[in-house]
Amino acid sequence: MRKAFLGVLITVLFTLNLEAANTTGRWSGQFRVEGGDHDIPQLILIKQEGNKITGSGGPNESEQYPIEKGSIDGDHVQFELTTGNWKFVYDLKIDDTKMMGKITLNSLNESRSAKVSLTKVQ
Amino acid sequence: MRRVILNLHLFTALLTAAFIMIQGITGSILAFEPELDRAFHAHLTYVRPESQSLPLSKLGESVSQQLGGERVVAYAPSTSSNISFEVLLPSGVAYVNQHTGELLGVRARGQTFLGYVKALHVRLGDGAIGKNILRWSAVAALVSVISGLYLWWPMRRISIRAKGDFRRFSFDLHNVVGIYSVVPLTLLAASGIILGFEDQAAFLIYHLTQSNPTQVVSRLPYVAATAKPFIDVDAAVTIARSLMPGTVPYRVQMPQYGGLYQVALLDPKDRITGSRNIVALNPVDGTVVSISRAADLSRGDWILAANEAVHTGDVLGLPSRIVAGLTSIFVVIQALSGAFIWFFRSRTRPVVRAAS
Repeated sequence: MRKAFLGVLITVLFTLNLEAANTTGRWSGQFRVEGGDHDIPQLILIKQEGNKITGSGGPNESEQYPIEKGSIDGDHVQFELTTGNWKFVYDLKIDDTKMMGKITLNSLNESRSAKVSLTKVQ
Repeated sequence: MRRVILNLHLFTALLTAAFIMIQGITGSILAFEPELDRAFHAHLTYVRPESQSLPLSKLGESVSQQLGGERVVAYAPSTSSNISFEVLLPSGVAYVNQHTGELLGVRARGQTFLGYVKALHVRLGDGAIGKNILRWSAVAALVSVISGLYLWWPMRRISIRAKGDFRRFSFDLHNVVGIYSVVPLTLLAASGIILGFEDQAAFLIYHLTQSNPTQVVSRLPYVAATAKPFIDVDAAVTIARSLMPGTVPYRVQMPQYGGLYQVALLDPKDRITGSRNIVALNPVDGTVVSISRAADLSRGDWILAANEAVHTGDVLGLPSRIVAGLTSIFVVIQALSGAFIWFFRSRTRPVVRAAS
């Protein structure tokens, strides 16, 4: 009986751990391109349905670009924004109210990377 | 005094010669970046010139249909009838013949040869250390030019002697190339310093001109992709052009990507700030949200723009870009000939001493 209870408990805990975190909400923060001098502000508005992420992102509330190819797998969050010449590919890890990771920025001739840090504000 | 200047000229050059050469080689390539980029993608770029272009909306629809319904992020119409239009998509940039609507191909975003060249020129590849090295190298280049002029002045050598050994040839070449390129070299080095120390330079320039950075266009709240009705992209361009006669559109940002139409217009007569005309329009009814005119730029912004145009050679168009490209090659010649002079001098001096 004790073994069975322990087994159920481990299974429940394991399942909870695998369940995707909830990313829905407003995420504020900044990124800095490697070798850059400045932090660029970020405001990401995310809506999560299952493992799919939609919404928009940009430097502030009035300049937003639609999130494309957004997904979450465990604590691994990925999505893309296209602002025109530049495409931003986000590769983040979520930890409760923090998301940190890297952005790969690609234009027609250049590819750069940036470190990004976001905090859930709502 | 002359010995002090000579040592200053020598040591600044020796310390930074390798980096200055990198900037010279990469700069000579970047001076012709648009032409090279087109040459590398000639099959996507060049079209048979015709007088009429199809509407942007038709080109966008056609591209979108052929590429699985991808949404258009922005349009980049060319200002030349023999250069294709670009339709920017999330997956890449589609090149389309504006006269026939033919899709010429799609270029994916990512690093290319020209991207590496630019990265080398601006930050030695990548990282803050490279950027710091290069901006101080630009200072060293300016010191070398000014000290070099001082050293040249007593002899005022303006030609290369036909007779003489390699050291003599290097010495004459260094003098002649240096004096003939002193003005563009000074301009390139000085403008490079301002670009390298942009924050500090901008602070100083705004302070000296008692001006502020020009405010960017105001924006509307984000418009969801499904919001309708939108005014047509061609109508947005027509409204924008009517507000700025004599300009041509070179970029139109779509409202789904940024919240409103932003039509960027080029004034071909203004090579310094001519591309800084932007009309922002409400996509729902076409009302003008804001207009940013190049003529309204603050004095500080104009000086910073002029500095950039001088450095890239855009200031007088192709002729000044050719001068900038050649001057960048002269930088390499100066670094090499200077190194030869120093190398052979240090090797021959003991022989000369022994002989005397």
